[in-house]
Amino acid sequence: MTIAVAERPAVSARDVVKRYGGVTALNGVSLDVQEGEIFGIIGPNGAGKSTLFDILCGITVPTSGSIRIMGSEIAGMPPHHIARSGVARTFQRTAVFAESTVLENLLFGRHASFHHGVLGRIFGSKTFVGDQQAFQARVEEVLKLIGLDGERHRKAGVLAYGVQRRLAVGIALMTDPKIMFLDEPAAGMNGRETADFIALIRAIAPGRTILIVEHDMSVIRQLCGRALVVVDGMPVVVDAPHQVLSHPEVVTAYLGADDDE
Amino acid sequence: MATHFGTMIDRKLVAVSDKNRSGRTAREASYAICSLFVIAVCGYTFTDPFVVTLAGYTCAFALFALSINIILGGVGEVPLGQCLFFGLGAYGAAIGMGKLGLPFDVSVLIALVLSVVLAAIIGVITLRLTGAYFSIVSWGLTGVAMVAATNLDEITGGPLGLFGFPPIEIGPLQLSDPPTYFAVTATILLVAILFLVALRRSPFGAAMDSVRQNPHLARSVGVDVARVRLKAFMLSAPFAALAGALAVPYTQIVTPEVFSVANTVDGLLMVLLGGAQLVIGPVIGAAVFTLIPQAMNLDPNIRILLFSSVIILIMMFAPGGLHQVGVALRDRFGGKTDDDRSR
Ligand SMILES: Nc1ncnc2c1ncn2[C@@H]1O[C@H](COP(=O)(O)OP(=O)(O)OP(=O)(O)O)[C@@H](O)[C@H]1O
Ligand SMILES: [Mg+2]
Repeated sequence: MTIAVAERPAVSARDVVKRYGGVTALNGVSLDVQEGEIFGIIGPNGAGKSTLFDILCGITVPTSGSIRIMGSEIAGMPPHHIARSGVARTFQRTAVFAESTVLENLLFGRHASFHHGVLGRIFGSKTFVGDQQAFQARVEEVLKLIGLDGERHRKAGVLAYGVQRRLAVGIALMTDPKIMFLDEPAAGMNGRETADFIALIRAIAPGRTILIVEHDMSVIRQLCGRALVVVDGMPVVVDAPHQVLSHPEVVTAYLGADDDE
Repeated sequence: MATHFGTMIDRKLVAVSDKNRSGRTAREASYAICSLFVIAVCGYTFTDPFVVTLAGYTCAFALFALSINIILGGVGEVPLGQCLFFGLGAYGAAIGMGKLGLPFDVSVLIALVLSVVLAAIIGVITLRLTGAYFSIVSWGLTGVAMVAATNLDEITGGPLGLFGFPPIEIGPLQLSDPPTYFAVTATILLVAILFLVALRRSPFGAAMDSVRQNPHLARSVGVDVARVRLKAFMLSAPFAALAGALAVPYTQIVTPEVFSVANTVDGLLMVLLGGAQLVIGPVIGAAVFTLIPQAMNLDPNIRILLFSSVIILIMMFAPGGLHQVGVALRDRFGGKTDDDRSR
């Protein structure tokens, strides 16, 4: 508990390898993200960024290597435990509960933090009004933060793509996470939406550690203090965004990747 | 502690912010009351014992469709093996009465308990699988059950099955009397529906919904996906077993055929017909599926042809089932436009 912050990174990975049959998705990635940092991860399509996220938050078990979150080894911990211990994650593809309303989307996470007893479920007690109000306030606060206050009864699936991305961040925020993994959170956003999004991340960043995978370099440049470049499952360089972007290997990788897009 | 907290929040949020949910509750309650009315009207107008018994059997089978829908509409898997529990209930009642000399109700209770235990065991093994793998493996287990039922002559009566039961009764209620049979199954069905409506509104219902829609995201917000799936499976089993047991007074015989996948498919069709996302969808499906062909005196082959076509049309144009068709019609002619809230 008294260990200095710098000696205990929020997220720490050592030599992470992940193979899917013959495909090596990650080939020896190590990183240390300090508490309070906004840390970027960039790399061409298929580089292994999402796989790295899955491993860092315990959804996928690495072939080898070790992960520490807030100093504790997560091997063998079920993903929902990791989630409940203050780690939240947004997904690149299906980021929201499409069939539910915006409000319901925010509520799903909260249900999981309660222990459900049948009797308690049937007979609500009157002694937790304070907590209850705090929670309602939280819902309202998150709705305002993500700018979906007026859309709470709309189905998530009918929202514009960029708006769904903001909702995804809102879902993650409901558990009041200490560490957030955002997988391409600004994908599909137009310029204005991206600017709003950057403001949103800045607003929620204090007190949290945030890792962002993003193809939009302006987002990385504006938000992140440091960024890791992954190419073909291997770490190339970790440095300030403007530094890594001029790194020769990175330039080559991106010129190659641009052709695919 | 936290439980109360959760409940309070649910209530408050439902009451304060989520009006459309309470609207749904009201709508479902009105559906339930309507169906009760229809049940009562049917009970009194149709005096033909065969029709009344068939209506009772339809209620029993609707219970099976509800069981299937706890899995399909609840956590989004296709439980092709669900007739395993249906058969367990049927055989449980038959063996209890015919071989062990137990009363019907005691036999059924034992079967219900066994079904939950069996679901726990099977669930732990099969629920690691998802999608087609889960469906196929659970279907495979019904094949095992069918072979067992066919060969354990001593207990199951072998391929000929068990029949010739003493009068089937629950306390003073004679299930061999058609109106009583109908009243009992209809009441049990209604209680089951109310229970499932409450379940859907509960935190566990929300957890199932999150798992069905997006298991990865559910996990990332702290839902124990494996546990939710297992609990749903264990919850669905006694519904199916009860359905199987309540079918016995109608069938008067239990053969290994109860484990046939055709049984499950009938239930699945009812769910799809009525709509998986409404609690009473499967009940509507069951009523349409059994009663209409009967009333129209349809040839079984024509029935299959007709239903296959209807199912295809529904899946193509109204994946939400007949309920969705109803809502669409109401919106069109009633001038209502609460578009995305029809679920
Ligand atoms: N479940 C899986 N099974 C097999 N191969 C996989 C699996 N998941 C990822 N891969 C492979 O691992 C590699 C890395 O994929 P990953 O999704 O992590 O890349 P990414 O950097 O997130 O790419 P993108 O920018 O397109 O999102 C790819 O070659 C992919 O095909
Ligand atoms: Mg990715």
